[in-house]
Amino acid sequence: MNTLARHRRLTRIWSSEPGWKGWFSTVNHNDVGRMFLVTSFFYFVVAGVLAMLIRAQLATPHSAFVGPEIYNQLFTMHGTIMMFLFAIPTFEGLAIYLLPKMLGTRDLAYPRLTAYGYWCYFFGGGMLVFSMLAGIAPDGGWFMYPPLTSKLYSPGINTDFWLIGITFVEISAICAAVEFTVSILKYRAPGMSLSKMPIFAWYALVTSLMILTGFPPLILGSVLLELERAFGFPFFQVDLGGDSLLWQHLFWLFGHPEVYIIFLPAAGVISTILPVMSSTTLLGYRWVVAAAVGLAFLSFGLWVHHMFTTGIPHMGLAFFSAASTLVAVPTGIQVFAWIGTIWKGKPQLKLPMLHILGFFLTFVIGGLTGVMVAVVPFDWQVHDTAFVTAHLHYVLFGGFVFPILAGIYYWLPLMTGRKRFFRLGEIAFALIFVGFHVTFLAMHWVGLLGQRRRISTYAPEDGWTTINLISSVGGFILAFGLALVLVEVALQVVTRHRTKRNFWNSGSLEWAMMMPPPAYTFASLPQVKDRDPLWHERLLPVQIARGEGYLGDPVGDRRESMTVEIATGAPDFHLIYPTNTRLPIFFSAVTGLFFLSMLVKLYWFAPIALVGMAAVAWRWVWVLGQKEDLGPQPVGRGLQLSNAAEVDRSPGWWGSLFLLVANATFFGSLLFGFAFLWTVAPGWPPPVFIEPSLLAVAIGVGSGVLAAIGTFAAIRSNRRGASPTFGLLLALAGALGVAATFVFTILRMPNPTEHAYGATMLVMGSYGLFHAIVVLLMVSFLFARMRAGFLSAARRAEPAIVNLWALYLAAITTLILVAINLPGLVA
Amino acid sequence: MTSVLSILVSPLLWLALFSGIYGLQGLSCELDLDTTTFAGISAARALLGAAWLAAIALQATLLAALHAGRFSPEGAFVRWISRATGWTGLVATIWTLFPVAVTSTCG
Repeated sequence: MNTLARHRRLTRIWSSEPGWKGWFSTVNHNDVGRMFLVTSFFYFVVAGVLAMLIRAQLATPHSAFVGPEIYNQLFTMHGTIMMFLFAIPTFEGLAIYLLPKMLGTRDLAYPRLTAYGYWCYFFGGGMLVFSMLAGIAPDGGWFMYPPLTSKLYSPGINTDFWLIGITFVEISAICAAVEFTVSILKYRAPGMSLSKMPIFAWYALVTSLMILTGFPPLILGSVLLELERAFGFPFFQVDLGGDSLLWQHLFWLFGHPEVYIIFLPAAGVISTILPVMSSTTLLGYRWVVAAAVGLAFLSFGLWVHHMFTTGIPHMGLAFFSAASTLVAVPTGIQVFAWIGTIWKGKPQLKLPMLHILGFFLTFVIGGLTGVMVAVVPFDWQVHDTAFVTAHLHYVLFGGFVFPILAGIYYWLPLMTGRKRFFRLGEIAFALIFVGFHVTFLAMHWVGLLGQRRRISTYAPEDGWTTINLISSVGGFILAFGLALVLVEVALQVVTRHRTKRNFWNSGSLEWAMMMPPPAYTFASLPQVKDRDPLWHERLLPVQIARGEGYLGDPVGDRRESMTVEIATGAPDFHLIYPTNTRLPIFFSAVTGLFFLSMLVKLYWFAPIALVGMAAVAWRWVWVLGQKEDLGPQPVGRGLQLSNAAEVDRSPGWWGSLFLLVANATFFGSLLFGFAFLWTVAPGWPPPVFIEPSLLAVAIGVGSGVLAAIGTFAAIRSNRRGASPTFGLLLALAGALGVAATFVFTILRMPNPTEHAYGATMLVMGSYGLFHAIVVLLMVSFLFARMRAGFLSAARRAEPAIVNLWALYLAAITTLILVAINLPGLVA
Repeated sequence: MTSVLSILVSPLLWLALFSGIYGLQGLSCELDLDTTTFAGISAARALLGAAWLAAIALQATLLAALHAGRFSPEGAFVRWISRATGWTGLVATIWTLFPVAVTSTCG
């Protein structure tokens, strides 16, 4: 097959449907990545307009531009959109688009999940935008502290939009994090060991693991607050055994790592672009990787530094103050590595480099003010003032927006196949840089003079008028600059000024293809021998196009790819991707119905929506797999690999593993919340405990273990070629036993509206019951698959996945039943 | 997967120890252990100090294991990163928990 024929054949196999209909059925990372980026920048514009309205209001004292009610919505939505609908989705979009290209593979691990994540983001964001247009947007600040956001002080639907809309959007982040983690670990070009992995992939991996462990506490907090608002479960009501500080802990357990979840991908962009702009390699690659890992972990030990003024004992404050200062060390290592890279190379002051320099100055200032607010006495002085607002903008704009703008200008030739023509970017950079610093340097100053955050107006005698006016003028200059960037990007997309291949002379694989990239990404998968393959093998793009790598000869209409062993990058197994489908948008729409029913208080409809979700999920998995053994598949270069359906640790197993990591963090946060309320909240111990039942514990734990043993037995039988029916029946009985135990336990619980104890117990019991039902469904699914002929001794991937969930069920059942029964036993 | 785990194990241990000792501090205040003293040292401080020293010992042991031939991860790159994060875990344990020795426990 010649190169052109291969290109045409692969394009036909991998393309989305033509026209606008293709948007709804595409699962290709090229399309979904672009859709994410366009949508996230739409939200960036929306949040930017809100920022302009805020600055217009604060430009003069006693301003009548907007009233306090609207102003509250403006700053809440500005922060919410920037954090949840712009920053994280931009990372998702960029990583979805770039990672397969950088890693030398054809797509991400779960293409349908990529699309499902996008549509959850689209619909969830749509809910929030609707609330804004209807004048009922959230107005409790982007961190939604109760009791301000409790039913008593925020009786309207505004807060519910935030809690439900953001939780919906977070599904997208969790999907992306699972997807990236598995893709980076397994879906790389053969030969790409961990030491040869592009630095951006390392950052994306670390960020994804952070999302998996950082987002669940917020999801839990949102669930608890919504339960309190909807049903009166008093998790945050002090008079009924709750504590509003629990929300702060859960929120900042997410919220501080969130800062690094936003910064680290941007640092990955810097670490990728800077060496290319300096015509050299990244200085201290290993140090940078270790620093990124260290930074990620340390960021989870900082959350209380947002709560220094809440009356926590000095020792607690000192723990988090010390951790907050320590986090500067890995950040410093990265900054010095970047400076060293410039030093050893030959830096060229091209447009992406300008934004990188803007990042350096801005982020370092933000980091230094961060060390200032890490010092407890100083933080007490500036807490809740405009100084902190200025600090966070230096960190987030400096640490995210400047690098992302550098990234846009760097990868735009790749995405469009065109180069800049009108040269507006330099003027835009100047406006952005000057506008930003005028706005936010002034904001530090006015904060030190005592201006509080989130105030809608002030008096002339406060002495803040001139500074605020300067800040507002700076804000509008900044807005002009950003608008100019968007104009230039639009011009580059529509003008026909073709660019050469590998525009920046980069060494990484995303430039080894034609521009814009074809739907199939790589005509054949390269064998990677170096961290910068294009610098060391100049002919590699030609070899790839000629089909001299792996999987260069398409088979039928299969979308084929392959995985590698995690550490060494040795070829592992062969896989066939699903093709275009409307299942993702349909699934997210049904998911949206569940959230919508909660929002508009049609609670009777929520179980129907859940059943609908289960039905679509069933269909989702059913269409995968095959009814005959494929055997070893030729992947080119004389190599044969097992298919993904015929291995123990299939993509589904890996995805489940990391989804369970997020799930376990959610459960751990729930246990933390229980322990926190017990030890810190007033009104404990509760007036009445659940009567302990050792029989229930024994039956529940025994059933959980039975479910796990049953799945093990099913795996063994299936592998021997025997029927797994007996094992599956055991697993089914075990899951049913667990479900019955939780139903029995829930029925004996005290009224959840009378004390936070009862409410917490109910959530724990429901969590266990939910997982028992999930395992029940999974085992039933295996039965159906077995009867339909999808299982064989070779096709053994699916039982291993169910086994993982059954093991998790056994573990949480034990912990939940102990947590529920132990207090009563001790008492 | 073991290579990824060897990179993550020390910082994970720090996170567990940091959270655990923070929880222990809350518990010791809840149980009024700061008001009970032995030889001029409050029971809370003695407990927290012992926990801190045990945490340092654990991290040091783990770091030694990452350096030792038997438990050292395979591959020069993963080995280097694992040791670097091992040192991060040890330093973080010493630095972030040193307040148990110097600040008031429950005040």
